[in-house]
Amino acid sequence: MKKFLALLLALIMVFSLAACSVEKAEEPAPAPAAPAEDAAPVEEAAPAAVTELTLWTYPIGGWGNQETVDALMADFEAATGIKVSVEYLNYTDGDDKVNTAIEAGAAPDLIMEGPERLVANWGAKGKMVNIADLFDATDLEELNPATVAACFADDATAYEYPLVMTAHCMAINKTVFEAADALQYLNVETRTWNSTEDFLKAVAAVNEYTGKQVGAVFCAGQGGDQGTRALVNNLNGGTFTNAEHTAYTWDSAENVAALQTLVDAEGIEFDAGIVGGDEIALFYNGTLNMAFCWNIAQQLNPNTADTGAGLTASGDEILFMAFPSDSVPQLCGGIWGFGIFDNGDAARIDAAKTFIKYFCDSEATADAVKAANYFAVRDTAEGADLTGIWADNAIMNEYNVLMPMLGDYYQVAAGWAEARTAWWNMLQAVGSGADITESVATYAAQANAAAGA
Amino acid sequence: MANKVITLNTKNRRLMIHETVTSYLFLAPFLLFFVMFVLYPMFMCVYTSFFDATMGREDVFIGFANYKTLFNDPVFWTALKNTMVIVIVSVPITCIFSLWVATVISKMPVVATSAFRCIFYLPVVTGSVAVTVVWKWMFNNYYGIFNYLGQNMGLIDKNINWLGDEKYALGCIILILLTTSVGQPIVLYVSALDNVDKSLVEAAEVDGATEMQAFWKIKWPQMMPTTLYILVITTINSFQCFALIQLLTSGGPNNSTMTIMYYIYYNAFKLYKYGYGNAMGVILAIIIAILSAVQFKAGQEK
Repeated sequence: MKKFLALLLALIMVFSLAACSVEKAEEPAPAPAAPAEDAAPVEEAAPAAVTELTLWTYPIGGWGNQETVDALMADFEAATGIKVSVEYLNYTDGDDKVNTAIEAGAAPDLIMEGPERLVANWGAKGKMVNIADLFDATDLEELNPATVAACFADDATAYEYPLVMTAHCMAINKTVFEAADALQYLNVETRTWNSTEDFLKAVAAVNEYTGKQVGAVFCAGQGGDQGTRALVNNLNGGTFTNAEHTAYTWDSAENVAALQTLVDAEGIEFDAGIVGGDEIALFYNGTLNMAFCWNIAQQLNPNTADTGAGLTASGDEILFMAFPSDSVPQLCGGIWGFGIFDNGDAARIDAAKTFIKYFCDSEATADAVKAANYFAVRDTAEGADLTGIWADNAIMNEYNVLMPMLGDYYQVAAGWAEARTAWWNMLQAVGSGADITESVATYAAQANAAAGA
Repeated sequence: MANKVITLNTKNRRLMIHETVTSYLFLAPFLLFFVMFVLYPMFMCVYTSFFDATMGREDVFIGFANYKTLFNDPVFWTALKNTMVIVIVSVPITCIFSLWVATVISKMPVVATSAFRCIFYLPVVTGSVAVTVVWKWMFNNYYGIFNYLGQNMGLIDKNINWLGDEKYALGCIILILLTTSVGQPIVLYVSALDNVDKSLVEAAEVDGATEMQAFWKIKWPQMMPTTLYILVITTINSFQCFALIQLLTSGGPNNSTMTIMYYIYYNAFKLYKYGYGNAMGVILAIIIAILSAVQFKAGQEK
């Protein structure tokens, strides 16, 4: 009996350690039909019963900074009487926290992130409220059409209201490039490369001058993978998905050729030991002279050595650049805004909509955009001009040169999570010497299987 | 007389019932916790493994389909192989190294023993994220200390991408796992050695037994329960290797560090395939249960 009990206890112990607790998936709640009338104006008081809301935000510029957000929330509370409790997520385990909260029925009222999560993930799973009613005719005129398209799941269903956007790009160490006489291969004014061939010549020149690796195709995980995707897609004019976002097209001949070019390039190494964040750190500290994971947030960052924005830790000048392309570069976009989780409480949903209109479509929008350190998705918000909000910031003004190069926002394609994993796994395989055509075909097939293509 | 016996029996029975009820009342909070957070999740894990359970839609009963898919999934087999390698390498090394260190430091003065116990236990109490960040820095491809030392000592010609090369990545994970695993066994072995009956050791020495003979014939048998416990716990910990993988390699490169635990996490929480993830959890639990039962059996026989 004692032996039996001991064995039983041991079994319970190992089962409990291995078991993955789950809740039965809830049936998706149907999204409420969009009312015909325009959204309530900001000045309209929130329903009396709702005096508190919860917001979970990913680190989207200053929206990940408590001090900045506290000030914004204090203004909102003063204007509407609604107090907002904020929780700050990170990209390492933020999704896990949100998913756990959704499964436990404890999702926040509001969440701030991009369409790949709000529309293509939680929205598609029926967890978000349809906020198409927030987009009135004026909004649709004012908002950047690409951002509107990304926030709508279909013509009548929107799961995100956009606030800010940016274009992801790459960066070079201008000081080193100048010393290596490699600036001749690019246009400093337009921030574009003369050609993909000139990009490779520049890499070779810097490699010869420094005697070390210039850039890294990082692929230890999905962090910063928009950089490697844009690099590969632009080199030979390939695409990541088709125009309808129904199939992944990175097994095309153009992308295979681009990968071969990168494998062959002296000075560029595939690195399965780092992700985008590591690459940025290596670029800042001068180990690498080219970064493929870059955007305005990095350009504005005074770095850990505090040498100043647009400078490396040793004070070298950083030049943000479009990705190398023989035509107009297609930059991967970042769009961020707010979505509302469907917690079944109409009063809270209305209050959350008030929050969204306050920050995304009112006189308060300018502050909300500036807090994010990105670009507004619209020129005016309820009459307030947003075009000049960065007039006093030279770097932001310079960065505007990249915004017309914003490409297709394909991150809303079905099977996105699997596709991202397949992408960096494919890069690892290619980097370790596997046959490129075969590897690309294998992993693209995995992504397409997940997309149901 | 008969009435007196009946009264006593009734009193005893009442006392027994009272004590039993009181005991269960004391146990109730833990039992409730145990049922809610251990038994129920275990049941749900097994139950959900027979469903196509995914976030956002109703579960669909699919019988053993998850298990069939699992056995045809090459990544699962790679993960199982890697997990077994981690267990087979790390468990014996952890046990042998811990026993050796405990034997050495238990002979030292009390202050030195305590100091060494603290040193070896430090990685256990240090947060796993902090430990991992330090190791990541040491293994860094560009400026890590291992590459620096290797180059300066002439052991390597050029920097090795320790965590980014499938030849080395799993070895690095095992090395880190070892450093975080030996602390507790060392402390347990030191305690076990302290509890060995000294009179038996002295008697053996008087009878001419060598130090090795005294160890294997007298100390080792008395430390068997501790060894058995360490074996089981270390085996389970090795099977559960997850944080290191998530923080360092995400299972790469080319799935060379993919473990069952990480693959469960990836399927359940990244792809929301709860049913599939739980099917893997059940398989993992069965493997660990069988191994633990074998270890218990072997330990009891000895």
